[in-house]
Amino acid sequence: MSEAKESEAIRSIEEINEKIKRGDAVVLTAEEMIKLVESSGVEVAAKEVDVVTSGTFGAMCSSGVFLNFGHTDPPIKMIRCWLNDVPVYKGLAAVDGYLGVTAISETKGIEYGGGHVIEDLVSGKEVELRAESYGTDCYPRRHIETVITIDDLNQAALLNPRNCYQRYDAATNSTDRVLYTYMGTLLPNYGNVTFSGAGQLNPLCKDWNYQTIGIGTRIFLGGGIGYIIGEGTQHNPKGGFGTLMVQGDLKQMNSEYLRGASFYMYGATLYVGVGIPIPIINRNVAATAALKDEDILVNIRDYGVPTRPDLRPVIKQVSYAELRSGKVAIRDKDVPSSSLSSYKMAREISEVLKKWVLEGKFFVTKPVEPLPRQREFKPLKIKRKELKVGDVMSREVITAKPDDGVKEVARKLIEKGIDHLPVVDDKTRLIGIVTSWDLARAIANEKRKLAEIMTRKVITALENESIDVAVRRMAQHNISGVPVVDKTNHVIGVMTTDDISKKLIGGRTAV
Amino acid sequence: MRVKLTYSHEVADKPILADIILKTGLLINILEAKVNAQKGELVVAIPASGKKLEETLAVFKEAGVQVQKFTTVLQIDNKRCTSCGACISPCPTKALKFDSDWAIQFDEEKCVACKTCVAACPVKAITVP
Repeated sequence: MSEAKESEAIRSIEEINEKIKRGDAVVLTAEEMIKLVESSGVEVAAKEVDVVTSGTFGAMCSSGVFLNFGHTDPPIKMIRCWLNDVPVYKGLAAVDGYLGVTAISETKGIEYGGGHVIEDLVSGKEVELRAESYGTDCYPRRHIETVITIDDLNQAALLNPRNCYQRYDAATNSTDRVLYTYMGTLLPNYGNVTFSGAGQLNPLCKDWNYQTIGIGTRIFLGGGIGYIIGEGTQHNPKGGFGTLMVQGDLKQMNSEYLRGASFYMYGATLYVGVGIPIPIINRNVAATAALKDEDILVNIRDYGVPTRPDLRPVIKQVSYAELRSGKVAIRDKDVPSSSLSSYKMAREISEVLKKWVLEGKFFVTKPVEPLPRQREFKPLKIKRKELKVGDVMSREVITAKPDDGVKEVARKLIEKGIDHLPVVDDKTRLIGIVTSWDLARAIANEKRKLAEIMTRKVITALENESIDVAVRRMAQHNISGVPVVDKTNHVIGVMTTDDISKKLIGGRTAV
Repeated sequence: MRVKLTYSHEVADKPILADIILKTGLLINILEAKVNAQKGELVVAIPASGKKLEETLAVFKEAGVQVQKFTTVLQIDNKRCTSCGACISPCPTKALKFDSDWAIQFDEEKCVACKTCVAACPVKAITVP
């Protein structure tokens, strides 16, 4: 079919709304639309169906709520503010604040965050409000400690800078330890795959080319009504990774569709339910509204490599259908896969939205402006000199051989005043390490040769590696020093916690 | 079935568990072990139910080991659970899966109470009593 025919208007937004008003609009959920297109084809579906409803329910960290607390007497210009010990952003007017969902409790840590406060507010629970100020002539009060409920607030506007990711890359872990990430628990040695996204129910997948979704679109948000107010942050339409910025009145929402959450050893967030009705204005929109999990592809990335998200190695490309099947083949092995976002809730949202439209309670909108289809998602470049492992490590490396005697090596450590001694083979390649503690124990246990006592699985660092990454590795293995090796496993230095503390005094930029 | 086995010091030196594993052929998994001068306590997962389980427990009792069954292995608060699935793939024994309506389904027989799912659940809907 020609492109012109594909985008030729079948019905207008106004016509659809007239039908909704009369109660004779044909509304299908995305799943029902898929079935109809499978049985009757796009042509028929495009003719018959007026609206397709979508839904998604997942962790959306770029979410939060603008709050207005109202004035006390005497009044306060809040400079710092907390709700249930979670800090509220106060770089706004006297009693306005923004509570972000990833902000964490100063007493409970990541177990309880901004997302949990939002859920508590929406559930009608009392929330403790604390605020501090320096006091001014017009705002003399310096302190507040009270409790509030959502009804006490003048405004509570959920305003989420980035929701509803069109697709999201899946995650796995190549390392030999468990990783706790925002993609959940990732078992060692490609032990599992986790993924996020509603796939065939996702609103932006259902209008893949953003022909009906845009600024001003009325949506289902957290169980209430919300609006798209712009492209989301990190909106990346070229890659098919569009995002939305949305806003809605928290007071109308429902804790069923807004859930405070905490990812173990990672942080707090909020599960948000979003649903968008897709008016079937032409054949192209009808075709994308019928996209299936099989058609929507993402990469599985290795979270074991601590690099920028887009540089994490791609293990393979898979469809949402494969991911949802419960297993994915990685290196000829079936690996269990499971979602982090709820397909059940996404489906429920698409059904609720369908009901609202059928009952004439919810009308479709013509966007004021379309979403941008061109936008570059740029990384942040570090323009100042940063210290690398190579800048901090000691280059005068003293090594030993596996046949060396324990006592003579102990003497060497004392003479040189060092604690870590890499053990190398005849070709000076790293094969082990001994520490002063290993030697003390070896002497106590009357061991003779280094080969008997050395640690063979050595944790190392690379010269051009970030210090933060190497330090995290040292902390994870509870060690105080690492040999620095080149690509061929030759020892070129040793970096210890002593080296780091000495070099980093006076700030990181001091080389 | 998860079972707590308590060994008095009189029987602590006997390889009772190994003996029962060999006799029954059951792959009994040790989940926790605490041993001191007074007594030994093991928490084990016995992959059996009904008659076979009762027979196995009887053998332990005959050997002088106290037996206590854990009736609830793991509790999922269905009001809190959103059926997101974050608990499923980390589970080492595949005791958690989706049912045909994409709700979480828990298979008590397979569970060894390792609590991996408790940590993995983002909304803290899972508890092990």
